[in-house]
Amino acid sequence: MRRCTLPFLFFLANIAFGQQSALDPAGPQAGRIRSLESLLFGISVVIFVGVIGTLAVALFRRRRGIQQEPLESTHRPSAQTERKLLVVVSSLSAVSLLILFALIVVSVVTGREISIKSLPRDSLVVEVTGNQWWWSVRYLDDNTQRIIVTANEIHIPTGRPVVIKGTSHDVIHSFWVPNLHGKRDLIPSRVNTEWIQADRPGRFRGQCAEFCGLQHAHMAFWVIAEPPAQFEAWRRQQLQPAAEPSDPVRLRGQQVFLNNACVLCHTIQGTTAAGQNGPDLTHFGSRQTIAAGTLPNTIGNLGGWITDPQTVKPGNHMPQVPLAPGDEQPLLAYLEGLK
Amino acid sequence: MTEARVLYVGHLPDQEVSNHGPLWFGQVLLCCIEGMMLCMLIAIYFYLRLGVDVWPPPGTQLPSTPVPTLALIPLLLSIVPTYIASAGAKRNSRVLMLAGLAGNLLFAAVFLGFRYLEWRSFNFTWQTDAHGTIVWSILFLHTFDLVADLVMTFVLLVIIAIGRYGPKQRTGVHVDSVVWYFLVAIWLPLYAVIYWGPHVVGAGR
Amino acid sequence: MNSSKTQFAELQQTDELEQTWKEPKGFLGSLAVVGHKEIGKRYIVTAFIFLLLGGLEALLMRLQLAFPENTFLDPGRYNQIFTTHGTTMMFLFAVPVMEGMGIYLVPLMVGTRNVAFPRLNAFGYWMYLAGGLFLYAGTFFHALPDAGWFAYPPLSGPQFSPGKGVDVWAQMITFTEVSALCVAVELIVTILRMRAPGMTLNRIPMFCWSMLVQSFMIIFAMPAVMIASSVMLLNDRTIGTHFVNPAEGGDPLLYQHIFWFFGHPEVYIIFLPALGMVSSMIETFSRRHLFGYPALVLALVANGFLAFGLWVHHMFATGLPQVGEAYFTAASMMIAITSGVQIFCWLATLCTGRLRTTTALHFVFGFIFIFVLGGLTGVMVASIPFDLQAHDTYFVVAHFHYVLIGGALFPLFGGFHYWFPKFTGRLMDERLGKCSFWILFVGFNLTFFPMHFLGLGGMPRRVYTYSAGMGWELPNLLATVGALTIAVGGIVFIANVMRSRRHGEIADPNPWEGASLEWEAASPPKSYNFPRLPAVDNLWPAWDDISKRTVIEGLSDDRREILITSLNAAEPHHRHTLPKPSIWPFVTTLGLGIGLTGSVIAFSWYYVAAALGAIGFIGWFWPRRPLEFTS
Ligand code: HEA
Ligand code: HEA
Ligand code: HEC
Ligand code: CUA
Ligand SMILES: [Cu+2]
Repeated sequence: MRRCTLPFLFFLANIAFGQQSALDPAGPQAGRIRSLESLLFGISVVIFVGVIGTLAVALFRRRRGIQQEPLESTHRPSAQTERKLLVVVSSLSAVSLLILFALIVVSVVTGREISIKSLPRDSLVVEVTGNQWWWSVRYLDDNTQRIIVTANEIHIPTGRPVVIKGTSHDVIHSFWVPNLHGKRDLIPSRVNTEWIQADRPGRFRGQCAEFCGLQHAHMAFWVIAEPPAQFEAWRRQQLQPAAEPSDPVRLRGQQVFLNNACVLCHTIQGTTAAGQNGPDLTHFGSRQTIAAGTLPNTIGNLGGWITDPQTVKPGNHMPQVPLAPGDEQPLLAYLEGLK
Repeated sequence: MTEARVLYVGHLPDQEVSNHGPLWFGQVLLCCIEGMMLCMLIAIYFYLRLGVDVWPPPGTQLPSTPVPTLALIPLLLSIVPTYIASAGAKRNSRVLMLAGLAGNLLFAAVFLGFRYLEWRSFNFTWQTDAHGTIVWSILFLHTFDLVADLVMTFVLLVIIAIGRYGPKQRTGVHVDSVVWYFLVAIWLPLYAVIYWGPHVVGAGR
Repeated sequence: MNSSKTQFAELQQTDELEQTWKEPKGFLGSLAVVGHKEIGKRYIVTAFIFLLLGGLEALLMRLQLAFPENTFLDPGRYNQIFTTHGTTMMFLFAVPVMEGMGIYLVPLMVGTRNVAFPRLNAFGYWMYLAGGLFLYAGTFFHALPDAGWFAYPPLSGPQFSPGKGVDVWAQMITFTEVSALCVAVELIVTILRMRAPGMTLNRIPMFCWSMLVQSFMIIFAMPAVMIASSVMLLNDRTIGTHFVNPAEGGDPLLYQHIFWFFGHPEVYIIFLPALGMVSSMIETFSRRHLFGYPALVLALVANGFLAFGLWVHHMFATGLPQVGEAYFTAASMMIAITSGVQIFCWLATLCTGRLRTTTALHFVFGFIFIFVLGGLTGVMVASIPFDLQAHDTYFVVAHFHYVLIGGALFPLFGGFHYWFPKFTGRLMDERLGKCSFWILFVGFNLTFFPMHFLGLGGMPRRVYTYSAGMGWELPNLLATVGALTIAVGGIVFIANVMRSRRHGEIADPNPWEGASLEWEAASPPKSYNFPRLPAVDNLWPAWDDISKRTVIEGLSDDRREILITSLNAAEPHHRHTLPKPSIWPFVTTLGLGIGLTGSVIAFSWYYVAAALGAIGFIGWFWPRRPLEFTS
């Protein structure tokens, strides 16, 4: 019935253990949804097989021919057959109704369990703002000194619930980390909350799921789940302002950055750069990707990005900034040094 | 061949001017469509209202009620000539049709005059805010419908006046009355929402 | 002696009928045509052309997605293509093609000579054509929409979609919806008031029931999309209203609610006529009365009502209050019952009938296979927690192509094979037909089955490319191969149509031994459909002895007179004369078209549209002599 079973199994395995998969849950919500999915899938398979089996029976009966019934003249099988059919059809409908009731109950219960109302205490609160086409991330804290701002990368401690407060700065985006939870739209002027939790350390890819324009395809991010101690270390480091460059090349790079258009759009804590149109670069060197998951963060890729962002990610909102010859290498060194 | 049984219908009336003709039926369906549009707008009105604390937003005056309420009088009265016109159409009375259609136009003109006055008194436009947007949209759509129907009414008046009419045209007069009843009836909830809504659900001031 | 005299009288009478009902010829004549068969055919052919265009766009998308980081299309182009693909398929193909089938078949099935408002019918077609041309004209003016087939603001708003593409999209909706509304009105009146005497409500053929329910759904759903697209979106873009602008108290979610209040019924508007076709074919090819006619009718009606209560299931990820969520899950799942009952009744019919496995029945079997699978994934996404994962991924793309292609296109193709002899007087080639069926069936599953896994494997929809190493390469490649396979199937199908139209086996009036009235008319039917309008006394008139048919006498042959019957019992009520061909519907469309086209530039063009439209309508209704018989 199912053609090409082998390739299907093959890519099933391939997908299931990909970097971004709803089939490989790493947290309680994704886990619950995965079990729900198995249930839905199982029931669907049974129903599907039943229907197709009946179709096959219909074909088979045709071959045998049902001469016993005077169909030819009246176009109607015997009253007895009709009565039998009536019983079968109504009981199948009743069974379907029961199955559907059960599915509704299970869905609603699962929905409760994963909803924000089921949030355990002691959670970390992260504010995620969608932008065309990158993510701005803020770790909220009562103490304003301890607010962390970063972009396109969310570090979370394992085993601890994290509340995501999502909103958008321009159009509608959707926050989605399949291994951890389903998606939630980020809508301008609204704040949508959900909570996620990673049960094991790992890197989980997320991607914008609501069509948001030209570079919707390149609006990814990473969630990095680490054991609490490691997370704390990361947090401490992020709380620092940007490292002052020590060597002359980097110092030169800083000047390049501050004297060019870069400052209009980017913030680097501890310097005068305080632009808000692009990702915060204070600790850019510690991040793993460039331009919302488009490229791995290497010095070569960074060079490519800065000299020509419109080729790497056509249509994105960072323009090509003309740099004086010889300025590029120091700038790259400076940015990569922002650990 | 000759065995075929026959159902003779030649004695049945031809082209009835009544609520049984296809045209009447079609017109009622068109009214459903237009009614659906206006209902959507009412739903939008309340949806937008729920989204804000103050309604209408600060700076927008509460809509005044006397003029639009007064305007209801000619509007409701216009039903009488409309009814006369459709009765005339059924009875094939040219005088009744002419009087009815003309009366309809007259009362409608008075109503539109009132509408002009009340509309002019708004201190907001469709560009002011969401409240302005939806109020203007409702008024615009309803006024557009009214004017469109009045143009039809006028054309019918001309047709009847020059005497170029048969059963089809009389059906037209009858069906035109259906549209007018509809436009009058749908105005009542719209009126309530636009002019009384802010007084009733306009908490926050 | 006697018989030769009657024969002569009959000939004379059919001659006169032909004179009365024939459609005008020539170029100008063709603009004035009002016959339901001609207009139905135009709808069908035009819609098929749009299917080819939409399919071509699909192929382009699939080529782009075949490999990771492919650069065949740039992102802007890709976005335009998937938007026009979705828009074309939904608004310019699926709905109009079903309307076309309805316009052609309904008058034949209920035993009358034309639809209730022939000129409105012509007007509807012209508006549809104008809308399609309008959208595709955008190609030449750099004005193709690129915000998806539901154009959510703020993305589609003035700030983020400058240019005219979205305006064109919004106004294209106005054209096609006006057309759909015209068809809905005339089909409702045709079905309710023009049935053959004796065709009581419980003797209406299933296909007519499905068109009736669908038409009512159009009447209550389409106004919503006009509000969403041409009132909210367009005015926000062109004259600065604030429906969806949060800064001034508007709300982007409001647009989504209004759009999906239409959008969900829309998918059943496409689907219900297909169900009617399936019922007709199953009855004919299992050579027995359809099992559970009352249940099937009830299911259709229930489907029509329920469809208005589940629009929110397209918005589960927007974060709604939980009570609402529970309700919408329940409603979305319950709609499975109405489909389930129909599937069960059909299975019962098939199991106890004597099947004739024609090409059409192949397509019906393919329909059951694909639609049930797609319906089940529909029930899966109706469960909110699961939908949070599946929403906006290729899982949903898989779901809706299963239900759209399986649930609507396969029955349509089946129906096309089934009614082809009625349309053209010739049978389609069965061998080629079955061949195209198998190619389409295999190609379809190859294209869309892997997409389920893509979705769960994390691939969002509407991405113009993806990076290697995500595990998405193979399924995407398979899908592309599948799409090419579908194209081959399509070509075989087209070849079959072209060939059979000229060289197919000549068909007699009832080649399949069908039960409903259209099979009593000649193949292809005469301009007047039936020389004498029939009266019926059961649901399967063509299975009775035709020579004993009761026929109607007393209608004039020298004007387009038909019989109006009562709504419920279909008793003769009065006679009614339908209008003659007229150029005015075309002229009116021209006027409205100019105005509406202008309206994407400035609001004031609406006044132009209104003025030109009014001139058109006055010309249309202006009495011409002899007065009794004009419209
Ligand atoms: C012909 C069109 C068609 C049809 C018939 C359906 C049928 C159904 N659809 Fe589908 N749907 C679409 C077209 C259609 N859909 C489209 C185009 C979209 C996407 C729009 C977009 O985003 O672009 C969509 C999206 C869509 C969503 C939103 C997904 C998302 O965006 O996240 C949902 C969610 O609930 C849904 C549900 C359903 C359900 C429950 C049915 C049910 O009606 C199915 C019922 C049928 C069966 C279940 C099979 C037969 C039944 C039995 C054999 C009985 C036994 C069964 C059980 C007991 C389960 N559909
Ligand atoms: C009835 C509706 C319908 C139909 C029939 C189809 C048919 C097809 N669709 Fe489409 N699809 C939609 C409705 C439909 N689709 C909608 C509503 C969307 C959502 C859009 C959005 O997100 O806004 C969508 C989106 C959509 C996507 C997702 C795009 C994205 O999210 O990025 C994809 C990707 O593969 C796709 C593929 C296909 C394919 C391969 C076919 C194939 O089945 C097509 C097969 C047909 C042909 C190949 C035609 C035959 C061609 C020839 C015979 C060639 C000869 C041509 C000439 C001579 C001119 N469709
Ligand atoms: C007009 C605004 C603007 C200017 C000027 C600008 N940028 Fe950007 N920059 C952006 C935006 C917007 C992004 C996010 C692009 C995306 O991912 O879609 C970005 C992204 C980046 C990134 C990747 C950040 C990440 O975490 O992915 C780096 C590094 C960067 N810019 C460096 C620079 C440098 C260096 C300059 C000056 C030479 C500069 N930018 C000038 C707007 C700007
Ligand atoms: Cu952001 Cu898609
Ligand atoms: Cu839906």
